[in-house]
Amino acid sequence: MTWSDVLLIAGGLLGGFFSGTVGIGGGVLFVPTLTVGFRLSQAVAQGTSLLAIVPTAIVGGLTHLREGNVQVRPALWMGGGGLVGAIVGALVAVEVPGPLLARVWGAFLVLFALRLGYQAFQPTRRPG
Amino acid sequence: MLGVGGGFVLIPLQVLWAGTPQRHANANSLVAIIPIALAALPIYYFRKGSPQVDFHAALFLVIGSVVGAYAGARLLKRIPERELKVLVAVVLGVLGLKELLFP
Repeated sequence: MTWSDVLLIAGGLLGGFFSGTVGIGGGVLFVPTLTVGFRLSQAVAQGTSLLAIVPTAIVGGLTHLREGNVQVRPALWMGGGGLVGAIVGALVAVEVPGPLLARVWGAFLVLFALRLGYQAFQPTRRPG
Repeated sequence: MLGVGGGFVLIPLQVLWAGTPQRHANANSLVAIIPIALAALPIYYFRKGSPQVDFHAALFLVIGSVVGAYAGARLLKRIPERELKVLVAVVLGVLGLKELLFP
């Protein structure tokens, strides 16, 4: 076991933690850990990240189920929809270099984050 | 497509359009990621002639991430809705800025 292995475990730990709390796959942190920390090519880093996401999401997802955090029906619908999207995306969009798409998407995420932050600091409203 | 599970698509969708509470949105998202990542993986792996996966790196990533995911998932219920929203906003905001500036 080398220092780089330790760094990988640390990156995994942080990515996994965000995965469990925020609900992202963890790839957001895995990919930069692999490309910046290990100089893996973007393609290999993404493939490796995707592989690492599977056990991470399974452990996190099962824990969420046991904790009663999951709404099963919406989760299954999204999983199904995402499945179709992922297959189409992986087969088709792979050939499209998408800096523009990434920019549009990034802008959307920033807007969403601002809105969410705004929501969080609103005075508490009654549910419903 | 990007080597990520797609959770950062699913969370805004749920919270903005369905009004899902943040805690459920995050947990639902992680469950939904499982089939998505499972489907994308073989396509990614076999797309090019040579395997696009570094198994050594994946193994050590997973050792950390599985522990982190378990801890995060156990912790979720104890984080108040407002703090959770802030956390999600920060993570997705940073991610969005990164995509916006360095696509």
